[in-house]
Amino acid sequence: MVFKQTFNYLFIVSMLMLPALGLFKFHQYMDYYEMFILVGTGITFIWMSSYWQNFRYLVSSVLVLSFISIFLYEGNLFSGEEQFILKYFLSSQSAIMWMCSLYPLSLLMYWIYLFKKQSFFGNFASQLTWIATTMGFVGLLVRWFESYLISIDVGHIPISNLYEVFVLFCLITALLYLYYEEKMNRKELGAFVLIIITVAVGFILWYTFSKGADAIQPLVPALQSYWMKIHVPANFIGYGAFAIAAMTSIAYLLADKGILNSRLPSLIILDDLTYKAIAIGFIFFTIATILGAAWAAEAWGGYWSWDPKETWALIVWLNYAGWLHLRLVKGLRGPILAWWSVIGLIITTFAFLGVNLFLSGLHSYGEL
Amino acid sequence: MRFAITMLCFIGIASVIGTILKQNEPYENYIIKFGQFWFEFFEAMGLYNVYQAFWFLLILIFLIISTSFCVSRNSPKILKEYKKFQLNVRERSLKSFKHSYEIPVKKFGIIKLEKLLLENKFRLKKHTNKHGDLIISAKKGDFQKLGYIFTHLAIIIISIGGLMDGNLILKMQELTGSKKIIYEDLALNDVPATGKLKTSNFSYRAQMLLREGEKQSVAVLKAKEGYFIQDLPFIVGLNDFRIEHYSTGQPKSFESDLIVEDKKSGKLIKKTINVNSPLTFNGVTIYQSSFEDGGTELALDVWNLHSSEESSKMESIIFKKNELAINDQKYFFEFNDFRKFNILDIEIGNEKKPTNVGPSFIYKVRNESGQANEYQTYQYPMKMDNSFYFISGMRKTPQEDYQYLKLPADANGEINGFMLFKALLHSPQILKNAIKRVVGQSFPDGGERSQVYFEGVERVMSGFIQGGYSQIAESIDTSLSIEDQKRIASSYIKIIFLVGKELIAIYQSNNLETDTFLFESNHKFIQEALTGFNDSFFYGLPIFLELKNYVHVQSSGLQLTKSPGQFWVYLGSILLVLGIFCMIYIQEVRLWIMKKKDNKNILLALTTNRHRLEFDQFSLKISQQIKKTFN
Repeated sequence: MVFKQTFNYLFIVSMLMLPALGLFKFHQYMDYYEMFILVGTGITFIWMSSYWQNFRYLVSSVLVLSFISIFLYEGNLFSGEEQFILKYFLSSQSAIMWMCSLYPLSLLMYWIYLFKKQSFFGNFASQLTWIATTMGFVGLLVRWFESYLISIDVGHIPISNLYEVFVLFCLITALLYLYYEEKMNRKELGAFVLIIITVAVGFILWYTFSKGADAIQPLVPALQSYWMKIHVPANFIGYGAFAIAAMTSIAYLLADKGILNSRLPSLIILDDLTYKAIAIGFIFFTIATILGAAWAAEAWGGYWSWDPKETWALIVWLNYAGWLHLRLVKGLRGPILAWWSVIGLIITTFAFLGVNLFLSGLHSYGEL
Repeated sequence: MRFAITMLCFIGIASVIGTILKQNEPYENYIIKFGQFWFEFFEAMGLYNVYQAFWFLLILIFLIISTSFCVSRNSPKILKEYKKFQLNVRERSLKSFKHSYEIPVKKFGIIKLEKLLLENKFRLKKHTNKHGDLIISAKKGDFQKLGYIFTHLAIIIISIGGLMDGNLILKMQELTGSKKIIYEDLALNDVPATGKLKTSNFSYRAQMLLREGEKQSVAVLKAKEGYFIQDLPFIVGLNDFRIEHYSTGQPKSFESDLIVEDKKSGKLIKKTINVNSPLTFNGVTIYQSSFEDGGTELALDVWNLHSSEESSKMESIIFKKNELAINDQKYFFEFNDFRKFNILDIEIGNEKKPTNVGPSFIYKVRNESGQANEYQTYQYPMKMDNSFYFISGMRKTPQEDYQYLKLPADANGEINGFMLFKALLHSPQILKNAIKRVVGQSFPDGGERSQVYFEGVERVMSGFIQGGYSQIAESIDTSLSIEDQKRIASSYIKIIFLVGKELIAIYQSNNLETDTFLFESNHKFIQEALTGFNDSFFYGLPIFLELKNYVHVQSSGLQLTKSPGQFWVYLGSILLVLGIFCMIYIQEVRLWIMKKKDNKNILLALTTNRHRLEFDQFSLKISQQIKKTFN
């Protein structure tokens, strides 16, 4: 008990000290907005961990491992291929590869848990998801550092291209899922949510090995802005939540047809979780779209250019607004909403991926 | 509301069309894609500029009206509800609630009950009805209903802001004829008043292409296939435009050093803008949008590939046309673009890496019969297969890929070696000498056979010089077997190589200090030079342009935006987020407690307008708290 309390106090202190340290060391490289974002992140983490203890552990382990990695690099980018721990664990690519191996494994464990109902598998699956998420965040933070090792002007937060945001998607979806898993104290849905995460992992692996997408590229001029640090994460909280809603809806539809219904939570719980996920996804997606418009107004000459990406974001927004309308205003429940949520994910995927790949516009930051 | 949803669906579909069908392209592209009939059909529907289409804007307006209607109808109700507490409830109805509890109490006290409810964040009112029963009506979270007003008001405000920036006024002016789109290329002074928009134009997004050192006071507002001239309240001047590059060669930033002078006050502002930091002045924002060549000056050496002449000089400027007469043929040059940086995958060590290979210039050449080819020639030689080559790409149409002419660089890395070589090929005396030497190697004693051989080699060389390898290939007797033909062809190639070698040897013996051909072995150079010479017959032009020097002038592409609706859109957005938050995260709970005059128990009933899973637990919790307090 005492250990936990001390840890919590230390955590709060570090969430204030680390940004302060960052400001002190790097303030000449940051504009006011970025300083604000840094401090705000620390405060947000304090707030989030106040109601979610495990989040504290995640942030702490990610920071500790990342700092070890940074230390081991000794300012030389090539240590990543020579130093043992970096090469096999803590360089950004290795960490991300660990993430890529552990998520599918945890998917397997969740399915075994779903069928065997032995809490060992459920706990193991959950732990694997936590570890994979930790390694993924370490991978991104170290990648951030590595980009600065290449050159000062190449350094940037690693959420700037299709490869990096796919990693971010896995992490945010997993994190949101783990929160719900803990709150509901039910692990069955891991078998479903981890499916979409594993598909994303598959894409990451293919993209890495056949297109070399893991190479760190410098930022094109349009992306050199503090806006990227808030617009992109907000968008992915939205995408992650919509993904969870869709996976939960799939579970709902199966249970509704009598498949696996003895093993899954009740329809009411599944329905409620879908609603909660879409609700939080919708708020963050709204915020992200507004931030995107504000960014466009600074970079492209107008807050709305009917660019394909912007337009499809509107379509996604209207889609879920409609979903929420039917549920909140008309009181609708049941399979219709579940199907709608699954179709919503297809629309969202097109807005996220399809637009970049198939349609051209100002937003084509990821091409195959 | 159903009408609004239908309207929204239309907007959704129109938006999707707008993303799939590339918007605002030049009309010829659409004609090519769809054919004349469908092109006209789609044009009538306004699909090439969906978002400014009349019907699209009409739908938006309907949406605003219908939403305003909804809000104005429902808001008074909501606001009234806010104050109401509904104290006239009956026992029977309370008992029929899903969350209804009958709680026995030992010692009842109103103050304690009120305190408990207040601690649970309820607001309450109490009332004793005519039967003497005590009724307490409490509620919390009714901010939630405000969420409805916020969100829908926000949609209205955002849509109005969007319409403010949707240049409806200009559309009206176009309809009435007071403003007309200009379709021709006119000088500024020739533009009629119907084509000019005043600075008081409410909102616009216009473009300006500014050359380094130039000043402009108007911008171009693109409309359909034509444009308007948008007058500005200030004059924009460009001091310098820069592209900075990363070490990998990719562009790092585009920057323009601007001087903006207010027309009325004469006030000057100097600012460097780049992609994420525009300049706002007098309600207009200036953005770094694109860039172009601004008229780079080129100093060129003109080489005639099919004569022994030395080079002549040509000077030109990008966007200018030149005329040249070669071998009694006239050629018309159009210099279209200059690129200072070209990032290509070039071999460095063992791998290919994106590297900046240096400047290139692009030009179209038309001959007298009207045929035109496009060329892209690079200033510096590039490394391929361990040797350096001067590269010039040629294509007949913009849809094709470039085909490349590769001329090997000499031992000094210059093109002079190749040009010397081609000059030697075209020097009859020296050529004869070289052939004699080659013949002498096979027939050291001379004789009749050596004479026949000499004439044969002369014929081969003459054919090669006139038309490359394909010319001599044609002279091979096709009645022979394929194998024999191949043997003859390869022996021709060998002979040509030997002559080439001798040409260079002769040159070197006459110019002892020259290091032009000072390779370790000039075998490869000769081979590649012959190949290059052969390829020149497919080049479409007997002329090779070598870029010696240039003065780089750039143009910065600026976008100028006046957007008064922006403030309202942002305001509406904040309201929207607040509203969504209220609607989703604030839960309205109503609670009634009835203590009948003659009953020891109290009746507790709760309801919420969003039936949530946690509400069951919450109601239970309240009932247990009450039980505990009074027992």
